[in-house]
Amino acid sequence: MTFLKDPALCASRDLTRVVHLVDDTTPGGVMRYLDFLRADATLAKAAEHILRPVSRGEVGRLSLDCEVIVSHLSVNWRALPSLIALRARNTAARLIHVEHSYTAGFTALNVPSRTRFFTLLRSAYALFDTVVAVSAAQGEWLRTRALVPWDRLEIIRPAVDLSDFASLPAPRAQPRVIGAFGRLDRQKGFDTLILAFRRIPGNDRVLRLHGAGADLAMLKSLAAGDARIQFHGHVADPSRAMSEVDIVAMPSRWEAYGIAALEARVAGRPLVATSVDGLRDHAGPGVTLVRPGAVDELAEALLVTTSSGQTSAERDALATLSETATRDGWSRLTLRDKHSNNARHAKIEIPSLNRASA
Amino acid sequence: MTHVLPRTSAPTASVVVPAFNAAATLEHTLTSLRLQTYQDLEIIVVDDGSTDDTPQIAQAIARQDPRLRVVRQANRGLAGARNSGIAAARAGYIGFCDADDQWAPGKLAAHIAHLDANPLVGLSFSGSQLMDENGALMRRAQKPRLTGIGAAHIFKRNPVGNGSVPVLRRAALESIAWRPSCERERDWVFDETFRQSEDIECWLRLALSTDWEIEGIRGLLTRYRITSGGLSAATDRQFAAWERMVEKLTPLDPQFFDRYAPTARAYQLRYLARRAVSDGRGVEARRLLRRAFASSPWPLIEEPIRSGVTLAAATLVDRPLGRALHRVATRPASA
Repeated sequence: MTFLKDPALCASRDLTRVVHLVDDTTPGGVMRYLDFLRADATLAKAAEHILRPVSRGEVGRLSLDCEVIVSHLSVNWRALPSLIALRARNTAARLIHVEHSYTAGFTALNVPSRTRFFTLLRSAYALFDTVVAVSAAQGEWLRTRALVPWDRLEIIRPAVDLSDFASLPAPRAQPRVIGAFGRLDRQKGFDTLILAFRRIPGNDRVLRLHGAGADLAMLKSLAAGDARIQFHGHVADPSRAMSEVDIVAMPSRWEAYGIAALEARVAGRPLVATSVDGLRDHAGPGVTLVRPGAVDELAEALLVTTSSGQTSAERDALATLSETATRDGWSRLTLRDKHSNNARHAKIEIPSLNRASA
Repeated sequence: MTHVLPRTSAPTASVVVPAFNAAATLEHTLTSLRLQTYQDLEIIVVDDGSTDDTPQIAQAIARQDPRLRVVRQANRGLAGARNSGIAAARAGYIGFCDADDQWAPGKLAAHIAHLDANPLVGLSFSGSQLMDENGALMRRAQKPRLTGIGAAHIFKRNPVGNGSVPVLRRAALESIAWRPSCERERDWVFDETFRQSEDIECWLRLALSTDWEIEGIRGLLTRYRITSGGLSAATDRQFAAWERMVEKLTPLDPQFFDRYAPTARAYQLRYLARRAVSDGRGVEARRLLRRAFASSPWPLIEEPIRSGVTLAAATLVDRPLGRALHRVATRPASA
């Protein structure tokens, strides 16, 4: 039977093509995550990860020559028709959606009509073969709210290149600088951080806010009169900004995962974060979780936190484990694709084989 | 009354009855709960350090009905009693009934059907019929909007109405529970630092920090006792507690409070004005209404009739015509 084309052989010769669709390419967590996926040598052996920035209107017109399409797109009612068209035009491809935005905490503060919102999410997610949650907490939410059937749900936490953070010197034993990283936006809760910080007496502490955004003026007015609070604008080099910080604060109102929390932990910086959504995934040594909106709890945690107590070996291990978990998650997803393709081929081929041998 | 055998497995619903010096009304309350058509429930009476016969009355009924348990504690206030009741509750659905209020016989069944059919709903509420101090039903009712309940509506109009209304999913209560550093025994769901406004604080916190839906069902399923406060000091305390609730929850979402607090404050002041009218305190009612509409005119626009009636009542309340109208408005339903 050597003249028969072996489908398994074909598949292994050609790399699986995985196209990542992104509608928001502003520098940030999502783009750095995609950089990691594209640059990773292990992943590259199994699949070619291709970045495809798209405009909203373009999504529905795409016919892509690839086995796997990964949507990092925002889901809303206006985008739904184009997602339907994407599914319709790419029937052979496996469609995966990575949910970077929506969580229980997001819903609580932004969605007056939850039933309607959940209908949107269910409708959109139903177009995909797999929906990837970026944290266990978000995955649990997607499952308990029946937004994604459990057998279509995967949990893959994002990773970025963490080597720069893992190699940072440990912070000062007597913490002096509290740092926060992120857009100056209601989501990040920096207003509560400023209120909490202002309750900490003394002049030996500094609060550094790294980031840009629409709330700058409002935050500056909250900080007015307290010279210890500094605004540093957007950071081009996050690991360098991290090196000057002794404690990281992440008082977000909602957060699908919070890659900055992982960076802080790998950098050996104690983390004070709110116990919302994906930030709960970061619970562990050196991490203090406080209730969202509880200014007194936040102030207390910032005051008593001293050291994460993490050794550099532990920090390296955390970085390696995080990167490995993300890599394994994507290998599993792309491999599954290969297997299912093989199974599809096998079903077609087996009868003809039988005929040939008969 | 049907006798129910003791059981080891958890019942479907727990009803928490916080009781402080409630000897005069507790038996009626408990009877209304024991006569629920939905019988798979446990009743947890939390005796909150009563100095009257409240615990004895509860114990006597517990001997007749094994579904009833009594938890005793030193006085911690309504929120503290409810928290202890929640900690003792074993069921997946947890309801509340204050020791001077009553539940209509079909109330629990209706809420369980509602929650069973709507997995996104974490808090199920209904309307209430009002009782006077002697337990006589009045021709007045709380008939809240039942659907489309967002955080803004809860803040402005508190459709849950009173503390003897809601039946919640345990998971919803757990999602807002926390353990303050001063607490050694059990979690808090209601904030025990509040002696008033503890209900609305809890429901608004649920709406702003979880994705549970809050939804109502038809019917006046609670009988809620109105007692006249009679003192303007009480009004001031009540309003101060409401303002403290706003201050406490604002960090959850300052934009939300910027946008809705003036209107919600106007509704709260209008509510206090109505209480003042009921107690015959016209001067105070008019003062509260002026403050209300200075805070925001929206109650006049959103609810013109109710606001107009309140204005008229506040104007007339200390005149003979007003007193006559008041008697008509508050006469018992049977009259």
